[in-house]
Amino acid sequence: MKTDQDARPAGRGLRQSMSDLHSWVGLLLGWVLYAMFLTGTVSYFKDELSQWMRPELPAQIQVPDPAVVAQRIADELGTVAPGSPQWSLRLPDARNNSVYAFWRTAGAAPGQRAFGEGNFDAATGRTVTSRGTLGGDFFYRFHFQFHYMPVVWGRWIAGIAAMFMLVAIVSGVITHKKIFTDFFTFRWGRGQRSWLDAHNALSVFGLPFHAMITYTGLVTLMALYMPWGERAAIRTAAERQQLTAELSAFIQPGKPSGETAPLASVEDMVRQAQERWGRDNVGRVTATHAGDAAARVAVARGDGGRVSMSPQYLEFEGSTGRLLAVHEGVGAAAETRGVLYALHLGRFSDSVTRWLYFLVSLAGTAMVGTGLVMWIVKRRQKLPDPERPHVGFRVVERLNIAGIAGLSVAMTAFLWANRLLPVTLADRANWEIHGFFIVWALTLLHAVLRPAKKAWVEQLWLAAALLALLPVLNAVTTPRPFWHSLGAGDRVFAGMDAMCWALAGLHAALAVRTQRHQPKPRPARKPVREPVNGAVLREG
Amino acid sequence: MIHLSSFILCLTGFAALAVAMDRQQHDLFGRSLPAPATASLRAGGAAALLGALGLLVAWQGWGLGLVMFSGHTSLGAGIVHGAIIGGLRMRAKARGG
Repeated sequence: MKTDQDARPAGRGLRQSMSDLHSWVGLLLGWVLYAMFLTGTVSYFKDELSQWMRPELPAQIQVPDPAVVAQRIADELGTVAPGSPQWSLRLPDARNNSVYAFWRTAGAAPGQRAFGEGNFDAATGRTVTSRGTLGGDFFYRFHFQFHYMPVVWGRWIAGIAAMFMLVAIVSGVITHKKIFTDFFTFRWGRGQRSWLDAHNALSVFGLPFHAMITYTGLVTLMALYMPWGERAAIRTAAERQQLTAELSAFIQPGKPSGETAPLASVEDMVRQAQERWGRDNVGRVTATHAGDAAARVAVARGDGGRVSMSPQYLEFEGSTGRLLAVHEGVGAAAETRGVLYALHLGRFSDSVTRWLYFLVSLAGTAMVGTGLVMWIVKRRQKLPDPERPHVGFRVVERLNIAGIAGLSVAMTAFLWANRLLPVTLADRANWEIHGFFIVWALTLLHAVLRPAKKAWVEQLWLAAALLALLPVLNAVTTPRPFWHSLGAGDRVFAGMDAMCWALAGLHAALAVRTQRHQPKPRPARKPVREPVNGAVLREG
Repeated sequence: MIHLSSFILCLTGFAALAVAMDRQQHDLFGRSLPAPATASLRAGGAAALLGALGLLVAWQGWGLGLVMFSGHTSLGAGIVHGAIIGGLRMRAKARGG
């Protein structure tokens, strides 16, 4: 930070200011951002992760006809949740091997649980039981609301971090003076310069994605961060209901008539939706007061193939199956929100696009990671005594180890806990999560106690070993080893094993590189750097 | 198939654009290519990227097409960059560098 002081004119250039801003907004919440990015990245496969974490549910090789399944589960819900004011079921698709449903409990007294939920077998309609786990939803929820704190606090922290990220992206673009000239530049073995080139490449190649995902992340929670417009405009219950209708396909239960009338064929209703949107593009069926003459049923369009989360659904009279309304559009403001929301979640993706989302998001994670490491690399060269760095340097260095390598260890440990914890353990789903945090805390302790380089290498090797052995653990603890999955065409389990080995290879390569790295002696400094905007660009 | 075609177009497009850059020409060939060759590479690279965009938009419309194009370009550019780094490293190792 003290370089070139003598040569610098009094005025500070815009790029220099942006460089400083970029360094500090990138650092202050960098570990939070790294964790948000990585857990968000794996969430693009959260449904597959959830399948892997519930090995009791059989693999779904072919998607059953959603119309038949809808009728089957609706019948079952009539038994499981009789008289429910509202139930809703998510139909099976290529990524979900069971039907998830939730319902409001009829006549729940104050203090009683007002909701029920369950997973159902699409083939039989019966409730399926599996080990207690949050599955891939843990990483998904963690990436925007964290854990062990009120949800609202977590979302605020995520929002502040995302805003920092947005500032870091804009200031980074301004700072990076040679985006096009240096587009394919990588200077190997040049220490800080190599880190900068890697950071730039990871940032620039995925820049449209990184900017989009950060901005749309803020939009998904905009009603929390900026509620004032909504509060000013939406005042009555009717207006609130109108707003809900613009944002969601859940029809709200009105008052029952008290007159019994069986629910008409749900299969026929879903067939009508299939004619409109395609056989496998019906997402959800919601019914209110099923079994009452005032019943209503909404059949919502799936997310596939359209870049919008705005609700589209057919509304039926429950007792007759008569089509009452076709909801296929929302207002311009709601549609803008729907498009931005959809861009963030990427649920419209086919499998290739999902992989593109995953890989570019992984590059975004690496962008944050290289930025954090670069903060250390830059400053190490300027330390008066590298053997005795100042406290700030040591804090960042240790947090980097636990925040980057330690997170890989902890996330893999979460998956190990899923296979190792007894199925009968009370509060099992939460213990998987506790396991994740306990291991993460231990990596921080390890990072503090060990010399930095050794801590990096040991944690990277540990992550590589845990990842490489996870398919072995899976083979030992479930009847679905890799060779069986491959033979049975079970792409979720086979893909998970293959992915673990690929990620193990990546961590092993990083461990080897770190192990072999020998810091070069400090180069002689040039007296004056290239002038920028009338000032001198400092790199620190 | 459209995905594959678009990806190959992005890959070749960025490869051409990379070779059209002065630094990469010096790294790869030890000299600058003649100006007409550079201009052709640049035009060909841009045309390949536009071709990929056209394919995807014609297939899926502007919304989804642009999203897919963004993914293919990011991945294509990353792989070209990786290939250049790998190629130069192999050459340096072969020379004992």
